[in-house]
Amino acid sequence: MNEVSSVLSRAGLLTAEQREHWKMAWLATVDHKRIGILYMVTGLVFFVVGGVEALLIRLQLAVPNNTLIAPDTYNMLFTMHGTTMIFLVAMPALFGIANYIVPLQIGARDMAFPRLNAYSYWLVPLGGILLHFSFLAGGGPKVGWFAYAPLSETPYSSQPGVDYWALSLIVLGTGSIGTSINFIVTVLTQRAPNMTLRRLPLFSWMIFVNSFLVILALPVLNAGLVMLLIDRRLDTHFFLPPGGGSAILWQHIFWAFGHPEVYIVAIPAFGILSEIIPVFSRKPIFGYEFVAGSTMVICFLSLLVWAHHMFTVGMGRTLDLFFVASSLLIAIPTGVKVLSWSATMVGGSLRFTTPMLFCVAALAQFLLGGLTGISHAVAVLDWQTKNSYYLVAHFHFVFVGLIVFAILGAVHYWFPKMSGRMLSEPIGKWTFWLMVIGFNLTFILQHFLGLAGMPRRIYTYPDLPGWGWMNMAATIGAFFMAAAGLLFVWNIIISLVKGETASDNPWKAWTLEWATTSPPPHENFHKLPPVRSRRPLWDDANPDRPDPVVGVRWKMDIAAPEKNKAGVLTFIVSETGFFGVLILAYLYFNASPQAGPSAHDLDLYKTGFFSLCLFASSFTIWRSEVSQRKGNYRAMSAWLAATILLGGIFIVGQGLEYWGLFKSGVSFSSNLFATTFFTLTGFHGLHVCVGLILLLIVLGLALAGDFKKGHSPALEAVGYYWHFVDVVWVFVLTVVYILPLLR
Amino acid sequence: MNTTQFLLTAWNWNFRAIVCCIAGLAAYLALFRSIRRIGWLLGGLAVLLLTLMSPINALADGYLFSAHMLQHILLLLIVPAMFLLSLPQTVSLAVRPRGLGHPFIGWAAGVGAMWFWHVPALCNAAVSSQPVHAVQTISLLLLGTAFWRQVIAPRDSERLSPPSAVVYLFTACLTCSVLGIIITLSPVTVCSIYTMPSMDRLGMLKTIRDDWRLTPERDQQIGGLLMWVPMCFVYLSAIFAQMARWFAEPENAETKAC
Repeated sequence: MNEVSSVLSRAGLLTAEQREHWKMAWLATVDHKRIGILYMVTGLVFFVVGGVEALLIRLQLAVPNNTLIAPDTYNMLFTMHGTTMIFLVAMPALFGIANYIVPLQIGARDMAFPRLNAYSYWLVPLGGILLHFSFLAGGGPKVGWFAYAPLSETPYSSQPGVDYWALSLIVLGTGSIGTSINFIVTVLTQRAPNMTLRRLPLFSWMIFVNSFLVILALPVLNAGLVMLLIDRRLDTHFFLPPGGGSAILWQHIFWAFGHPEVYIVAIPAFGILSEIIPVFSRKPIFGYEFVAGSTMVICFLSLLVWAHHMFTVGMGRTLDLFFVASSLLIAIPTGVKVLSWSATMVGGSLRFTTPMLFCVAALAQFLLGGLTGISHAVAVLDWQTKNSYYLVAHFHFVFVGLIVFAILGAVHYWFPKMSGRMLSEPIGKWTFWLMVIGFNLTFILQHFLGLAGMPRRIYTYPDLPGWGWMNMAATIGAFFMAAAGLLFVWNIIISLVKGETASDNPWKAWTLEWATTSPPPHENFHKLPPVRSRRPLWDDANPDRPDPVVGVRWKMDIAAPEKNKAGVLTFIVSETGFFGVLILAYLYFNASPQAGPSAHDLDLYKTGFFSLCLFASSFTIWRSEVSQRKGNYRAMSAWLAATILLGGIFIVGQGLEYWGLFKSGVSFSSNLFATTFFTLTGFHGLHVCVGLILLLIVLGLALAGDFKKGHSPALEAVGYYWHFVDVVWVFVLTVVYILPLLR
Repeated sequence: MNTTQFLLTAWNWNFRAIVCCIAGLAAYLALFRSIRRIGWLLGGLAVLLLTLMSPINALADGYLFSAHMLQHILLLLIVPAMFLLSLPQTVSLAVRPRGLGHPFIGWAAGVGAMWFWHVPALCNAAVSSQPVHAVQTISLLLLGTAFWRQVIAPRDSERLSPPSAVVYLFTACLTCSVLGIIITLSPVTVCSIYTMPSMDRLGMLKTIRDDWRLTPERDQQIGGLLMWVPMCFVYLSAIFAQMARWFAEPENAETKAC
């Protein structure tokens, strides 16, 4: 394998002393640049896997009444294809690009938490392996990427495929949340001195805003998956109507995540377009403020409108109407973006290099995908086209037409920076044309197939007029795209080996990542150019006509909060989403009384006492922080120990309550009260335990004298978490123990 | 009574409200010389009077939960915001002690008003008892003012900075959405008084149930959805205005390129 290490080191991806142990140098890395590349390579590997699945699907559908693939296998293929492409391709690839580029664009040395970064990355291969392990464990999931209940429940999917699917998504979701917390804190705390928040390059801004969407949306999915797993493994009925559960609730939870998810992968793609189009139009972006502001609006709107995915479920006309109106609104901020990009190109001196070609195509195709999206927002049209190939065409225009094209554009654009080599332009152009022709051949026709009535997710179809040739054309298009994929990989390999050497700024771009060598040194920058506007390198190259200065007007412009505290606070935001769903589920299922155990079987007085202990621990940890500030380390340790003791008493109290319930015959599956009670209080207890472990670590550090060496934010950061756990208990206590007494 | 008759006749002349509005207008003219922003005040007063005297009020008075919710949103979010916007920029709204001016108090006022008045017992009491109803109306206006003061106080120095304001507004939006979601999807009735209007004073019940096809369940759904979706758009518009404020680059401000 010496060839690999020599190629890597010639491409500048390995230093001389690392050549001997190049595998470790990459596998154990905490450098954001290498982690970024690892993310992208992982995404590429799964792109091949998901691509092969897509080709198999297309082969089966190439001709009517085909028998190449059995119906069951077909269901497995489209489930795995969807899950893989979203969670193991789009997200890792975009996170990888952001991982590499964001710290460079903001003039930082690395991400805020390099180890968290490595951890988040390694969860991706773990999740991927878990998902694919299901093949060995009795068959993959066959329930579609949104795993609607009750199909995904044990009575209908008894094999463990769905369990692996859910576990893998929890793992991947956790990794995404971790890396998003990291992006938020990095942008808030690691910016170069003059890189104010309002001077951020659009890509970094969008990753920043998008990360909030991730930490708000992914926990909702995690909560749903946890409930699904509890249903499947502990024989409960969250989503099973026969036991009093609600299958519609799963849909609400899934789409409350699923709709933002579309934007979670689309917004970074918007960011890529916003970087590349101006550079190759030789003009600054038209309306920076509008592009940046509309991103924020898209983020917020996307959290509110999920129910438009459920028009066909029969939610009633009232709900439909509200969600039609609100979903249509999203067209405004997205339209603003499309206009901005187009206006950037108008009157510019356009250079159609491969990255630019990909972005222009992405813009055009996204426009089409957006328009068909609007037709899905109208409930009456949606009733006709949902679950037909029209829908398949629509979301592939967004996922492939926009996102994959943007990713390919980004790789072509930033490859010189990452490797110090240019990608071959001729091969790049071949890749582009094969891709664009193949993509449109496959998916434009599917609009018509859908309108002609071809349903999605069927393994074969009768020989109706027009269906055969359109499907055959789509299959041919898919193979065009596969060829483009192969060319793309070939281009990367050949360019790494003998590509033309890239200068520091081969595209004459303007953001900070181009102000360092290609590839950048380990510490990223030796010297940063002055930053006064949004295009520092333009100002540097054109001192006589610089961009207008973007001033410092707000404290937040330059503020840099302490990173550990910022990290914990961001984490708390995501945890709020998780507990919010569990509490809402509790309320929903306990709104009307049911047979079996109920809240009246709980002992409020005993729990009240243990709750007081928990609340008192918030006070003691606050005293501990005060002692730390005063420099009284013995008192600090003592208060800390008291906190741990009080937290421990609470956990013991919870244990006693569980024990009492178990003894009186109440179990997880007794009824939905028991299920929701154990789920909610159990997860809270788990968080208390994690808090106790953190506190024990801090106490250990304190006893070892770590805090005497200087001010450490560790205690305060853990303190935030501890207070949060207590606040959650206030809500749990109210909802579970006190509310039923009022009825 | 059919719909047209209802829309024509269901206006109630609330003289106390009219007197208050005239007094407010007079006070404004007496206190502030400039009438540059008086449009906001007039708009606010108009919305206020419409809310309290139009058929919306007649419906909210025992017939429709959703009409009550519309009233609630207008009184809490629209009217106070318009009043605040009408004040000249020189007016200070600083409160003492300073702790009372903390953003969290404002946030809790705005969000708390929503949750508090939808506790079933209070929601019913506000319909059945005139004094409670008056307290509700006045408290919504005051709490709404406390909420918006953080974002659109006349003096720029008394407002939150745009990023904090975005967080402030967004969390408020989310918290109200949660209540909206609960009301929309809840299998239980929030405001039981609306399910069986005790006295059909206007003889409207048949029109509502038969012509408008509003069953009590659907009525509650609309109420919840009003809070879930359009109300969030109020916050969202404010967020958008904050983004504009954040990115605005005043021509001659003493910005420095540090």
